[in-house]
Amino acid sequence: MSDRLADMRHIRFLLYEIFDVESLTQYEHFADHSKETFEMALETGYKLAREVFWPAYQPFDREGIHFKDGHVTTPAGMKEIWKQCKEGGWFAPGADYDYGGQQFPHLLTATTSYLFNCANTSAYMYVGSAAGAALLIEKYGTDEQKAEYLEKLYSGTWGGTMCLTEPQAGSSLGDITTTAVPENGHFKIRGVKRFISSGDHDLAENIVHPVLAKLPGAPPGVKGISLFLVPKYRLDGTYNDVATAGVEHKLGLRAQATATLNFGEKDDCHGWLLGAENRGLECMFALMNGARIHTGIQAVAGASAAYQCALQYTQERLQGRSVSSKDPSAEQAAIIKHPDVRRMLLHQKAFVEGNLSLLLFTAKLSDIRHASTDEAEQQRAHLLLEILTPIAKAHCSDGAFESIRLALQCYGGAGFCEEFPVAQMLRDNKVYSIYEGTNGIQAMDLLGRKVPMNGGEALRALIQEISETIDAARKLEPLKEMAQSVEDIQNTVAEVTMHLGAIGMSGDREMYICNASDYLDMFSAMVIGWQHLQMATAAQKALDAGSDDKDFYTGVVKTASYYCRRSIPKALAIATILKSNERTALDYEEAWF
Amino acid sequence: MKIAVLIKRVPDTASVFAINPDQKSVATDKLKFVMSPYDEHAVEEAIKLKEANGADVVVVSLGPDSAKEVMRTALAMGADEGLLVTGAGTDSLTSKGVAEALAAAVKSIGAELVFAGKQAVDDDASQVAERVAELLEMAHASVVTKFELNGGTAVVNREIEGGSYTLELPLPAVITIEKGINTPRYPTLPNIMKAKKKPIAEKSLADLGLSAEALAPGVVLESLSLPRQNRRNHIIDGDTPARVNELIRLLKEEEKAL
Repeated sequence: MSDRLADMRHIRFLLYEIFDVESLTQYEHFADHSKETFEMALETGYKLAREVFWPAYQPFDREGIHFKDGHVTTPAGMKEIWKQCKEGGWFAPGADYDYGGQQFPHLLTATTSYLFNCANTSAYMYVGSAAGAALLIEKYGTDEQKAEYLEKLYSGTWGGTMCLTEPQAGSSLGDITTTAVPENGHFKIRGVKRFISSGDHDLAENIVHPVLAKLPGAPPGVKGISLFLVPKYRLDGTYNDVATAGVEHKLGLRAQATATLNFGEKDDCHGWLLGAENRGLECMFALMNGARIHTGIQAVAGASAAYQCALQYTQERLQGRSVSSKDPSAEQAAIIKHPDVRRMLLHQKAFVEGNLSLLLFTAKLSDIRHASTDEAEQQRAHLLLEILTPIAKAHCSDGAFESIRLALQCYGGAGFCEEFPVAQMLRDNKVYSIYEGTNGIQAMDLLGRKVPMNGGEALRALIQEISETIDAARKLEPLKEMAQSVEDIQNTVAEVTMHLGAIGMSGDREMYICNASDYLDMFSAMVIGWQHLQMATAAQKALDAGSDDKDFYTGVVKTASYYCRRSIPKALAIATILKSNERTALDYEEAWF
Repeated sequence: MKIAVLIKRVPDTASVFAINPDQKSVATDKLKFVMSPYDEHAVEEAIKLKEANGADVVVVSLGPDSAKEVMRTALAMGADEGLLVTGAGTDSLTSKGVAEALAAAVKSIGAELVFAGKQAVDDDASQVAERVAELLEMAHASVVTKFELNGGTAVVNREIEGGSYTLELPLPAVITIEKGINTPRYPTLPNIMKAKKKPIAEKSLADLGLSAEALAPGVVLESLSLPRQNRRNHIIDGDTPARVNELIRLLKEEEKAL
């Protein structure tokens, strides 16, 4: 197995040369930090990823979780990983000092989270789930709730989840039937939640479930949803009637306990309101937006690990000879020499680098939104985050699966065998296009909500950012063609947006939404092309300044060029479809299937 | 009790190495540097002792300003402070000079116990800690796989071929550490934040009452070369005396190994 899971040189390039993580220390919230603390956290994170998370990757998949007598047991070694994360402070690297955190910028913690996800998402998700629940309480909890829960969650003493989905209501949360009935200062919770990640385990003293439920007489649909804190054990230690009904047997992420939870089977489950009544979904979305971007991180991290494995394999595996060689007795060539293998590797490299760049950009935006005191700067960061979230979730996950498909292909028949880790990587990655809002929902979110929001304000902010990058790149002769390519896709996105906008305004909602997924694909090529152009600009400047790290910087420029020449033209072709008013899927009668 | 831990910043052995055109130095610009792995075990042993008995752990290193990076890692593991010997004359020392400088540094902090890795993974010289012990007239045990403090006495196990033996040493003592002794902890995030505020003192050779001239190595580095990558084989024919003679000739003339 490769022990290189990510390209740390490229990650440092993004952190220090593209997104200037040190600049965040200008904000008071991050003022205690410096390159020194960032480097130590990064080094330690990568070490933990390689030495603690990664060796468990395949064994965890083989062993899976155990469910017996209503209790989940995690695979052997998971307790040690939990312990290392607990002792190391990895449950709350970014949380406030007041709650036991270290106030690292999200840009840095997104990177360490990426590294853990390169190594073992099933395992890291247990840790991340606790931190997610804590984040909700930090944001919407009363002072009393914060005092009761935060330190326990951020220290890894307790675990956490988020409970949205029910057997009959997944994408359609307005239809949930879990109820919360007021009673003596708390609420009685009753209902079934399904697909709950880290839903039950043997790693912590308690598990805190933020649960979406409806109050008696609440308005129908999403406007009648409230959010409740439901611990498995109440603060006095009493069992709170949260029963694990079962766990899923899944294609991937098999060490993750994806549980079905019965709340209030014995009518004795207490919950406490978090945030305002009937505002539960809004509160949950504070977490959900972050979770969507985190899904992108999980996906791209998986693609990174698969790419690194494939790269090593293709450098070592000898097979065949150069297509131009006519001597059958010549020594065999490493398969990286073969044109189609190089194409597959380059596709993966361009995917990982471009999409990680987008993900870290969103992380920086969330830092600015959180820490800046300049309202205009905050608002701009907010708008960009809003419009980039569906891309970070859907494009990163669809693209990661495709990228790992190519990694597996590089292995030939060996890739199809579970002896090598790529087969598992492919299986593990599939869920990212599904959970936290399917990619179809993301596409509708982009075209139906984010593009038209505030009269197109978010899209305008994005176009302005992209235009600035194009202008800067144009000043460098070797990047002119690339800059033009990004401008072409940008213009095309603008044209198609106008075209579809007219359809939307005509009232043909179905036709409008029918185009959303293809629109997201095209839009994503603009965003990723822009990220590549930004990286190429910095790399070209370093080369022009005579940097002796020529291979690295040249690699960045050439990868960007590959993306602009091979991927953007495909995205431009999507415009032809989107402008054709193609509506077969709408007119196709069910009897014809 | 004060414990000094001698640590060295070395290239990560997973790095790709290149020799500079002068053939006398290693190109460092693309190397990643880390704490020598044996030294991590030495730091861990000192911190464990500190947690059990209470002690001040001072990490001591010699090198450029960038050596502070690995010292910070030791501080983030739980060491209390650092002392870096740096500045003019420190970049061209061999084991002898480094040992004299570190001995003076250890003396200046008044450590009763000195831990070090059994060797540094860059030059593998295995000399510095031993020399420090001699210079400071301290008891010494090397390649230690178990350490206990029993009053004023250190009880250690040493690895030997096919077994180990136990030694008792009076303090002060210098102990070099073998890998199996413990599992070095990962720095924790809270300790990373604290490490930033822990002091790393700097001393020059002059501050320690030494001079570059006095520490001059007395040996001349002729050249460095990378291990040869391509393997060659010779099959020598003939009767045994002829083959031996031919082997000696090859080793002398072609391989220059004798």
